[in-house]
Amino acid sequence: MSTYTTAGAQQQQQQQSSMAHDASSSTDERARFVEYSCGDCDAPVSLKRGEPIRCRSCGHRVLYKKRTHRMVQFEAR
Amino acid sequence: MAPTATSTKWSTDFDTARRQRLFRAPPKDNTAYPSLAAAVDPHINSFNAIFGPGGQLDLGVKDIGIKTFLDGDPYATEILPRNRLQIRIQDIFLDKPALPPSNKHVLGDRRILPAECRERHCTYRGKLKARIEYRINNGDWIEHVRELGNAPIMLSSNRCHLEKMTPDELVKAKEESEELGGYFIVNGIEKLIRMLLVNRRNYPMAIKRGAFTNRGPGYTPFGIVIRSVRPDQTSQTNALHYLNDGNVNLRFSWRKAEYLVPVMMVLNALVETNDREVFEGIVGAAGSKGLEEKQFVTDRVELLLRTYKVYGLHSKAKTRAYLGEKFRVILQVPDDMSDEDAGTEFLKRIVLPHLGSPNVTEKEDADKFRMLLFMIRKLYSLVEGECAVDNPDTVQNQEVLLGGQLYGMILKEKLDEWLSSIRLPLQEWLRKHDWEPFTSQQFQNEFLGKILRRTNENIGQALEYFLSTGNLVSSTGLDLSQTAGFTVVAEKINFFRFISHFRMVHRGAFFAQLKTTAVRKLLPESWGFLDPVHTPDGGPCGLLNHLAHVCKISTHTVDVSAIPKLVAELGVSSNSSALLDQSVVVQLDGRVLGFCTPKQARVISDTLRYWKVEGTHGVPLELEIGYVPNSNGGQYPGVYMFSQQARFYRPVKYLPLGKLDYVGPFEQPFMAIACTDPEIESGYSTHVEYDPTNILSIVANQTPFSDFNQSPRNMYQCQMGKQTMGTPGTALRYRTDNKAYRIQSGQTPIVRPPLYNEYGLDNFPQGTNAVVAVISYTAYDLDDAMIINKSAHERGFGHGTIYKTKICDLEEGTRRNRSRNVTRLFGFAEGGLVKGQWRKTIDDDGFPRVGAELRNGDVLAAWTTVVLDPATGEYKNNDGVTNFFKYKEDEVAFIEEVRILGSETGNDPCQKISVKLRIPRSPVIGDKFSSRHGQKGVASQKWPAVDMPFSESGIQPDVIINPHAFPSRMTIGMFVESLAGKAGALHGIAQDSTPFRFDENNTAVDYFGHQLMKAGYAYHGSEPMYSGITGQELAADIYIGCVYYQRLRHMVNDKYQVRTTGPINQLTGQPIKGRKKGGGIRVGEMERDALLAHGTAFLLQDRLMNCSDYCKAAVCRACGSFLSTQPTVAEFDRKKRGSNVVRCRRCAVRAEAAADRSQVWADARGDRYVGGEDVAVVAVPGVLRYLDVELASMGVRLKFNVEP
Repeated sequence: MSTYTTAGAQQQQQQQSSMAHDASSSTDERARFVEYSCGDCDAPVSLKRGEPIRCRSCGHRVLYKKRTHRMVQFEAR
Repeated sequence: MAPTATSTKWSTDFDTARRQRLFRAPPKDNTAYPSLAAAVDPHINSFNAIFGPGGQLDLGVKDIGIKTFLDGDPYATEILPRNRLQIRIQDIFLDKPALPPSNKHVLGDRRILPAECRERHCTYRGKLKARIEYRINNGDWIEHVRELGNAPIMLSSNRCHLEKMTPDELVKAKEESEELGGYFIVNGIEKLIRMLLVNRRNYPMAIKRGAFTNRGPGYTPFGIVIRSVRPDQTSQTNALHYLNDGNVNLRFSWRKAEYLVPVMMVLNALVETNDREVFEGIVGAAGSKGLEEKQFVTDRVELLLRTYKVYGLHSKAKTRAYLGEKFRVILQVPDDMSDEDAGTEFLKRIVLPHLGSPNVTEKEDADKFRMLLFMIRKLYSLVEGECAVDNPDTVQNQEVLLGGQLYGMILKEKLDEWLSSIRLPLQEWLRKHDWEPFTSQQFQNEFLGKILRRTNENIGQALEYFLSTGNLVSSTGLDLSQTAGFTVVAEKINFFRFISHFRMVHRGAFFAQLKTTAVRKLLPESWGFLDPVHTPDGGPCGLLNHLAHVCKISTHTVDVSAIPKLVAELGVSSNSSALLDQSVVVQLDGRVLGFCTPKQARVISDTLRYWKVEGTHGVPLELEIGYVPNSNGGQYPGVYMFSQQARFYRPVKYLPLGKLDYVGPFEQPFMAIACTDPEIESGYSTHVEYDPTNILSIVANQTPFSDFNQSPRNMYQCQMGKQTMGTPGTALRYRTDNKAYRIQSGQTPIVRPPLYNEYGLDNFPQGTNAVVAVISYTAYDLDDAMIINKSAHERGFGHGTIYKTKICDLEEGTRRNRSRNVTRLFGFAEGGLVKGQWRKTIDDDGFPRVGAELRNGDVLAAWTTVVLDPATGEYKNNDGVTNFFKYKEDEVAFIEEVRILGSETGNDPCQKISVKLRIPRSPVIGDKFSSRHGQKGVASQKWPAVDMPFSESGIQPDVIINPHAFPSRMTIGMFVESLAGKAGALHGIAQDSTPFRFDENNTAVDYFGHQLMKAGYAYHGSEPMYSGITGQELAADIYIGCVYYQRLRHMVNDKYQVRTTGPINQLTGQPIKGRKKGGGIRVGEMERDALLAHGTAFLLQDRLMNCSDYCKAAVCRACGSFLSTQPTVAEFDRKKRGSNVVRCRRCAVRAEAAADRSQVWADARGDRYVGGEDVAVVAVPGVLRYLDVELASMGVRLKFNVEP
């Protein structure tokens, strides 16, 4: 299971670096945007690391993380 | 078609469709549950009364008055005229919560709503501002507005955005549709100031207390105590003490210090008086009847007057000057005030300040004079034995200190302190600027900017501290007997728990430590005001009470301006007679209106009451008319009227008019209120209760058929109802409680009173209707255990969830520096290794994945240290190290929500996240359940459905309980509920379970039995049943029916504790305690005794030795010492390693060079020894060696005889 995850992460990283191939790779890897949703107006907000936390459209100060897109599988007992 | 107004009428019915409509479209006009909103009214109204013109604080600011400061060099030799700086507060404003101006990103709606404060774990507060005015000498007042920090705001108050919101708007503001308010949000936690019982205001109480003799020689236990309350709700207790010789002293506390003044001095200072006036005021008018019988009083008054002569103070002015001279220091009056004015200030602030404060005129001084005379009169009457002592522990002599009032009092005191604190920076400035006069231009330029700024203006923070800790930091003590525990967390475990917080009145932390139990007693006076059933058992029993559900608390003064005139018209005169059966007093809010005969007093009270209910003659309905009739040595008679805040009052029906009347606890003991209509006695009863259940609290009213139960069981149910896993609310999505319980399969009970719907409890279901059989079937239900049908469990019976919120705060622990440099950020280190294990629960951004499963030790969030790269303006990590927040609990949890929290200004990167975890808790063996009758039990087995007994109609029970649960507990209500529930389920109707609805002639059993018969079931509720295992019919008919079952929040998963080995105490080597740390359970003295008595020596050895501090120790047989043995070290071994060979150093001698090598051993230093070979290894408790070491340090040697 753990090997699978690392492979998946690497894949993602490769995709990212191929998309932004002209910039220096080490900084770009972290400059990825992650999308959240605003706690007030529900608008999507993409944030980079170190950016101030607020909604772009309404200025709200609480953002929710969206549910993971990865498959979530549990052992049912 | 115009929409019809939302109906607020409810019955017992299920009203499923109506509720559904209310949920789908929350009303846009008014709440459907006004009773629920009324439950928290005392809290909200008391807060609303603080601000605004004529509010509590407005009056408080007037009471603070003008502060005067003087300039000039105190060390100067020549005395120059000094300049005066005067400062006063004009107004206090509290804004609604809004974003600070430093936030430039929000243009439209700048409100901060309570939901945001819960989510961001911050305080719901608004900006506090004060308009102050100051002047120098007699110049013009200069106005200025100061900001005093942010003060916490009560939800739904007039400073809150939620005020007057409709349910529809509330839902849009992320609140419950029936959000009540009445509490504060401090650091994301809901806090409320609990109501406190204090002495009734402005009523002189006769007290006999042994502690009074401690005041000094001559003091007796007799006293009259009055809690005098100023219009701004701050109070000052005045007490009169009776001395052996007949003298009377006035006692008061000022800034936590006690002072005693001869009462004659105060009388003389109040008005221009003479001995005759005082004598007649106390004894009775000259020539009045029965004067010669009052020898006791006349003797003492004579002595009172004579002993006062030693002071030689002969006029009002001189007496005031004398008092002023003594008290000017503690009153902190300005230096240039005359002694006489200081004396006036003393009388105004300290002596009976409820009369006229802060504007005391001659009329008020005369009132105070008369009140003091009355108090002396009552004191002598008490000593003489003419009247009884008043009990300060009954509600009759109590009122409620409300949260808002306390808040306002603290705010007033902080403002007062702030104004006074200007003195220090002023002195500092004067000293630095060579005693520049106030009139100089430099002073006027710098006063606001430099001097005032140096005072501590953050009053909002002081209030926030008060609310978050409940500690009262006060220089005056606010006339209260406790300094801590004023606030509690409004826990939302379930709705009963939550609503109970707002109906709770506490007697005070001081009384909790009291050895005597007199204060805890349930007294008949509290009928209808405090619930007799709803109090916890154990520590706070009887101290923590709950209001009856219809009991109200007054929060404003009613208009009583017409009363004095009406009373005068009814024959009250200012002259009193010597005897109590000739004349009794008439008072209004602690003001003596006059005297009249007892007969007249009765007429006055009856007439006023008629007018009061009728609503004529300007007598308000909320007025309390306490008529105390003459009696033989009972309570001191008179008519005492109360119109002010903080009183209990409750609705009853006034019989002469058939209309609503409000009754207070002072008047109630002397009134004839019939409980039910048949109990009305013609010519005697004046009132009748609207409903006998009005005496019960909201929670106690939900116990079905509680009149059938033994009363302690109803108490237990009130406790357990508040520990049930229920539905804390519908806005669960926007809440971030530390821990929240939720039941998945909540149902509306079949058996419930109409109040259930009136209070909208279907919005917060707390249990499940279960088919319960009372049968001893499996032996797994011994001793209050219960068996759950496995199929019922699989259908979701009692399935619950716990939500826990974990906060990951990067700034926690680091001192928040002013520059607010960010030193840590969430995310993985750049270029560092990222393990696949971490990525299972964490995303790229360092935050947890929503929906991921967490186990013990899994990572919750990742962070790195960062520095700001000045070139790019971005934060960079340099060390490549990723740190983690970890999940440390044993249970599997799922990540439900992740909140990324920004700052108020909207400029800062993320420093804090809040993660909500979901822990599923299906019922397991060992979880606690209870019916609504104090019948709790533990689930002992999940019994397969095939093996469960079944009835003739094929019904299987969901729950089996043992019949032995009933005989000793006598919870007949549960039988009736079972019967009613069965009949209700069969007919599809909701059953009314209000207590006191049935009687001997028409019994509940008969009523529900007939319903059962109609449905084709046995009249008695019992049915023939068949064994699920053999299929044979059981010999007895089984009592089976429908009972509403609650799942309690005590679950084995939070409690189980087991270990063989684990963490130990460093010093003793014994297991540590505490479930959280993996410690053990102590086998104590009594457990040891039991094991001894059973002769289980091996078990004892195992518990006390092997599983505890078992250790092997080397002991020297020869000298019997643990401490002298040491391992030998061979010459070529690594140093300090030691070998298996142990020798006694004490018995050994230094080896000589010629010694036999085979005999010689060496220690770690390389010193060589011979002998000391008689060493044995024994098993001993680790603490024994420790004891040896400790004793050795004190020069005591232990010698062990080792055998064999």
